[in-house]
Amino acid sequence: MTTLVPVTYKGGVYRHDEIMDLIDDLGGYIVQKHVMAQDVVLQSFVPRDDIDLIRQIAKPLAGEVVEAPLVGTEIAVVSPSLEIHHLPHTSCDTAEYLRRAGAKTNMVGLSRGFGKRIANLNDEERDVINEHDLAVYVLGSFEECIRQKFPVLRRGIHVPIVVTASPDRETLMRIIDPPVEGYVGGVGRIMHRFKRPEELAKLDELVDEVSRTLDARRDELARDPLSVFPPRLMAIVEEQIHEVTMLTHPTPVTAQMEGLRVKLPYDLYADAVRALKVADGVTVGDIADVTPSRMRNYILIRIKPFSETRVLV
Amino acid sequence: MPPLNYFVVESPDEVGRDAYERIAGDVLQDLDLIKVVDRLHIYVDPKVPIFVAAGVLRHMPRAIRVADFANVNRSENEIVFDIGDETYLAPLLQRLWILYGKENVEQPDRFTVVLPAGTAGEEDLEQMVVADPSETLYKDVIYALQYIAPEGFKIRRQYIRDGKFYYVASEDTLPVDIVETMVVPIFEKMGVTL
Repeated sequence: MTTLVPVTYKGGVYRHDEIMDLIDDLGGYIVQKHVMAQDVVLQSFVPRDDIDLIRQIAKPLAGEVVEAPLVGTEIAVVSPSLEIHHLPHTSCDTAEYLRRAGAKTNMVGLSRGFGKRIANLNDEERDVINEHDLAVYVLGSFEECIRQKFPVLRRGIHVPIVVTASPDRETLMRIIDPPVEGYVGGVGRIMHRFKRPEELAKLDELVDEVSRTLDARRDELARDPLSVFPPRLMAIVEEQIHEVTMLTHPTPVTAQMEGLRVKLPYDLYADAVRALKVADGVTVGDIADVTPSRMRNYILIRIKPFSETRVLV
Repeated sequence: MPPLNYFVVESPDEVGRDAYERIAGDVLQDLDLIKVVDRLHIYVDPKVPIFVAAGVLRHMPRAIRVADFANVNRSENEIVFDIGDETYLAPLLQRLWILYGKENVEQPDRFTVVLPAGTAGEEDLEQMVVADPSETLYKDVIYALQYIAPEGFKIRRQYIRDGKFYYVASEDTLPVDIVETMVVPIFEKMGVTL
């Protein structure tokens, strides 16, 4: 079986459709396509052996192919509030940097995430965060505050968490109990754009920490693989439900590590999604849970593992 | 670091102290207050919890009069304002519209405003106050402190008068005598009496 690796293709609009066709022909999947003025960014999964071929074909088009560890993941960037104390710099820069590594990031601004005594997390916020593959908590400067409020902010969250804050990594490891999956110290409240080398180095550290955490999850998944590879199911949804192509969202269907978020109303389309044929005699309903998402009225598809369905498409 | 004459951030948490020093510098720079604030002392202790910022303003900008940015030339049948700096043109027009009516105020080009001679009488147009930057400056200083203070510290007491200001905030109810116990000693460290 060919291994698909996550890569980002960056190039011009001119003849980029050839690259898209090529990825398709090689058996890869395009998870996200961004057209920005004359530039195109394709987040995709391609067979490892064919990366050089894509590079070769992209060369005359001045396109480049880089490995992007976070393609096909949806990450929540959790900020204690959407006030000027956290935005735009700390939260947005973090989210944007993760996006560059291929992730689809959503900013979750808590309604009452500030203050060490008064901080809390409501059920909607908890459920929305749990719909992601990973949550990055962007916290502040004081050790004391993090120690007191973090247990509240993580209550009920079962996805992996990476914490960023001002105290150094060792301090964070000491004060956060039970431990979380990743720590990045020395970030905290920064009131200017991340542009100094040491600040960018911290963001790189964050990407490493996030990809390390997600790799661990990928390894677990490899032991009991999903019934269908999410980007493959994404291609099927996009092909068969034509309303998806009419949505104006940047990512009408968002690929996650273990499922998809389809940005169509659940009430109207859930049955159509369940009935979609994935392979001969296998429908989406057989291999996945199709549930309403807490994010607006979207549909959330959670793909079941092979051990449960005995189907591998 | 901003060129303040006195800038101190105190906190029992060393990492937090450094972070707040950077935050305060960035915020003052962003809001263009570095030239306005002369001395600033911040004390923040998340364990209490308390945030105190006290300081002295360099000088309050005075009111802007017509003579500061325009020449007024009276002739027999019209009064011509020859505008040197456009910054305060909009408030000047507003003021003239209110006083003499929109139909009487003409602006043939960007740098000229014309009034018919009869409208304005004998008053001293050069000395007319057009804008008072200190009004917004107070708001800017308090906004900056709100911005610097930790977000959860929602309960606050603020003061700005005669070039001195303080801002005390906490998550819990502030003690009645907080100004005497916390703010006055900080002003003393700066060599100022409140």
